Amino acid sequence: MKKRVLGGALLLLTLCAGQTLGAEKRWVVSEGTTLKKEQSVSAPNLADLPVGAELTLVEGEGRWLKVQTADGKEGWVYAGRVSDTQPVAEVAGGDGLLGDSMQKSQINTAKADSARSVRGLSPETAAYAKQHGTPEALKKELDKVLARKVSNNEVNAFLKEGKIGEYAQ
Amino acid sequence: MNKLRLLPLVALSCLVAAQAHAGWQDTLNNLMKSDSKEGKILSGATQVLSSSQEMTYQTECTVGESLALDSMQRFGKPVQNEALQKYVNLVGNAVARNSRRSTIPYRFVVLDSPVQNAFAAPGGIVFISRGLLDVLDNEAELAGVLAHEVGHVAEKHALKSIRRAQFLQGASAITAATMKGSKGQQFESMVGDLQNTLFDKGLDQGMEYEADQAALETTYRTGYDPGALVSVLQKLKKQEATAAKNGSWFSTHPPLDERIARLSAQLAKYPSAGSVKLPARFAKYVKPAKGGKASK
Repeated sequence: MKKRVLGGALLLLTLCAGQTLGAEKRWVVSEGTTLKKEQSVSAPNLADLPVGAELTLVEGEGRWLKVQTADGKEGWVYAGRVSDTQPVAEVAGGDGLLGDSMQKSQINTAKADSARSVRGLSPETAAYAKQHGTPEALKKELDKVLARKVSNNEVNAFLKEGKIGEYAQ
Repeated sequence: MNKLRLLPLVALSCLVAAQAHAGWQDTLNNLMKSDSKEGKILSGATQVLSSSQEMTYQTECTVGESLALDSMQRFGKPVQNEALQKYVNLVGNAVARNSRRSTIPYRFVVLDSPVQNAFAAPGGIVFISRGLLDVLDNEAELAGVLAHEVGHVAEKHALKSIRRAQFLQGASAITAATMKGSKGQQFESMVGDLQNTLFDKGLDQGMEYEADQAALETTYRTGYDPGALVSVLQKLKKQEATAAKNGSWFSTHPPLDERIARLSAQLAKYPSAGSVKLPARFAKYVKPAKGGKASK
């Protein structure tokens, strides 16, 4: 009788463990990641996947993984854009030790970037440059550096031209 | 018999647990008292924690931009070749967006300096010298070097190094208004310390190995040959005897042999790594700069 109960409990444990092991997780680590209908970068997009999005691995071990999103959408994602560990949350107001939402941080950093490109050097950097007697020419050079932005689309086109990563044949 | 043997063990465990619990209660009580030893430790730990938490991304950028101005004064202005700068930014951003800190904007700059070096300022401005660019032969190698620097930014290595030196105290709330007073002096001192760390002394070796590991991972994720960083280090190794040491990768990074050995061992983790190196595209943008006939 006791053996039967023990056997039943072991079976239940094995089943639970099997379910947990089967539900392997992956996290989106790369900006501009999309869920594809098929294993190809030219396949239709099913969803945009933000950095930090949790995915459940359905199948695949190679360059493309079949995954399911939290809201149940199933599709393919390029393996290089996901990780089996969660990415570090970017916390605009701190050091990431006590959480803030990744979404919020993205908004803040984007704001910081656009503000920087409009105004040139931040007032704080300008104050440092003034105190330091930094030549005007160098301030202009840094201004040029900060204004030189590349978009996700440009990076994609660049990778495509080089047949790199998800664009490899 | 077995049960009899177990009983004293259980009793002993209970006693130890009870004693430990009593000890914990005392410690907790003492933590609440600001004049106790435990209370002072907690207060110190909280201060360190809060000073590190308060550094906003904007302040990090101010540190990085100030450092960028100083680095251009020391190493030289950016190379005046817009096509080259754009190309390096495309390679850098391709790897940065697959890094552990992919959501901040990155800038990549080729400085007109013969000293072979690359370094990253907090906030995401990454520099590579013309001297180091001259050593490289393909895009994957460039990606490997830039990914190493992105790794430093992602892990906030420079900031962590000055935090250890306690230069960050009171610098978290830097504004243009406070740059004139004592906070401004503290800020200058912090940037000065960062210059010393990044340009002369180098980050600690653990951070460098961590950035190397991150570089393998991000170049692999992006689709470049992760072994390219190893080939860069092997080339530098050949030049080590004759290269200028002051302010270079040789003086600010761990011994090349050790880095090559560690990276080579880690490469085994990427058996299916692609072999994308792209020497022709690299040459198209970098060779004119090497020859001094830049296409602007």
